[in-house]
Amino acid sequence: MAVIEVTDLRKRYADLTVLDGVSFSAEEGEIFGILGPNGTGKTTTVECVEGLRRPDGGSIKVLGLDPVKDRRKVREQIGVQLQHTQLPENIKVWEALDLYASFYAKPRDWRDLLEEWGLADKRNARFGKLSGGQKQRLFIALALVGNPRVAFLDELTTGLDPQARRTTWELIKRVRASGVTVVLVSHFMDEVEELCDRVAVFDRGKVVAIDTPAGLVDGIDAEHQMRFTLMAGDMVELGGLPGVTGVTRTGNRVVVTGRGDFATAVTAQLARHHVLVSDLRIDKRTLDDAFVALTGRSLDPTH
Amino acid sequence: MTKLTIVELKLLTREPGAMFSLLIPLFILVVFGSSIEPGDTVLLPMALAIAVGLVGLYLLPTTMATYRERGILRRLSTTPVRPGNLLVVQLLLQLVLALIACALLLVFAGTVLGAHLPTRVLPGALTFLLGTAAMFAVGLLIAALAPNGRAANGIGVLLYFPMAYLAGLMQPTDQMPDIVARIGEYTPLGAFRQSLRDVWAGGAPSPLLLGVMAVYAVVISIAAAKFFRWE
Ligand SMILES: Nc1ncnc2c1ncn2[C@@H]1O[C@H](COP(=O)(O)OP(=O)(O)O)[C@@H](O)[C@H]1O
Ligand SMILES: [Mg+2]
Repeated sequence: MAVIEVTDLRKRYADLTVLDGVSFSAEEGEIFGILGPNGTGKTTTVECVEGLRRPDGGSIKVLGLDPVKDRRKVREQIGVQLQHTQLPENIKVWEALDLYASFYAKPRDWRDLLEEWGLADKRNARFGKLSGGQKQRLFIALALVGNPRVAFLDELTTGLDPQARRTTWELIKRVRASGVTVVLVSHFMDEVEELCDRVAVFDRGKVVAIDTPAGLVDGIDAEHQMRFTLMAGDMVELGGLPGVTGVTRTGNRVVVTGRGDFATAVTAQLARHHVLVSDLRIDKRTLDDAFVALTGRSLDPTH
Repeated sequence: MTKLTIVELKLLTREPGAMFSLLIPLFILVVFGSSIEPGDTVLLPMALAIAVGLVGLYLLPTTMATYRERGILRRLSTTPVRPGNLLVVQLLLQLVLALIACALLLVFAGTVLGAHLPTRVLPGALTFLLGTAAMFAVGLLIAALAPNGRAANGIGVLLYFPMAYLAGLMQPTDQMPDIVARIGEYTPLGAFRQSLRDVWAGGAPSPLLLGVMAVYAVVISIAAAKFFRWE
């Protein structure tokens, strides 16, 4: 069953078109990723789905309901972590959870959440005194305290150290295991690759692909490289093999460029001619390569 | 709603600004109070107006603008509870705070200082209600217009001094230029202080000044509602 159905969503701010016909659907029990660089309309999209912003066009169904018309019913069943929000500096962790639990008809016991999200010893700490990771975990716990069927998490690991990110990822997997559908907004490849069952790739207000992370990577036909060092035997002709587009040799170092599964053909050819090689490396294709192939630019700004 | 009120109340007690709103008027009363005559009708109305002015112009707008700035109102709109509830709760708590501040002043002045207190309750209560409504309206307008909590705080403080001066809270009105004092009487805070003083003098507050405060309360509140943004 589709838990969220978005069809041809449109949104403009003055003369800036932020969403230009966005469509996707998320299935029950999956972690659905919304991936794309900053400023491509990811937050705008989920905030329309949450009923926080009014789209200019298109239709949205959350659990079969309209988030604007059936406001209350929808909000009773969703949990939200917004990208840019804070709590009052002086509110204590338990007070925030207790308060937010009181907003829902059938909340979870917030004491369990305190344990699950590793905040038990911060129970009486004030929000302003928490570390970035602790704040983030509190936000996620607050998104879950209403016992939602769908949780929206927007950039949940921004600003966390690698250790804290890993921990958070494990906890998100547990959320999925408990049957909650998760909509995960992120501009991190590794996060999406690790967590998401399916991903909608956003670029400039449009969805350019929807697939599993592996499907996205397999679907691209980008050139990639394999490298090795010749040890013994004479170099054989590789240029004619299927998929190979180029071979360069510098001394004993060989770099073969190609598309598809050319690496298998190359290693087979080397073995057939008893060419011994070492340091064999095949560049792993990543979601980022898929993103470049889809949009013509890299998601990772360090590239 | 109950839980929201309890939590907001706790937060208010943790807010240093709330303490200041209670203590500053009391401090002024203590400093000047020792030298006043028993029949004085000036000092206590002044202290009361200061107390309400501080809450309305400083604490109320700062709290509300901070809530918007931190996205607390937005976060609340993703839950089944309407964010308007938070504003209502805040408004009520700030009203209670203003009441406590005034009660503290009256009790202290009445007992320790042996100051004169008006015997008729109704005119005093009406004046308090209208004056507080007018000051809170100004505070709400600041909250609506200020981009963030710090700006609201700044605007509140900036507005407070000229308003307090015009209202005759910095120096007694009879030491002010006549024209300034006359104008000041028709500012929200000035009308409030003058009406309180009338009550203290044993008479009824002038209907004109009560009307002036009511008009301020209504007109400025409407403007605040019109300009208010949730995010
Ligand atoms: N309230 C708003 N007013 C004007 N422009 C906005 C508003 N919200 C978002 N935008 C613009 O819309 C674009 C998409 O923003 P956003 O949805 O936050 O992207 P993302 O979450 O993918 O980083 C950005 O260029 C942003 O500046
Ligand atoms: Mg965003």
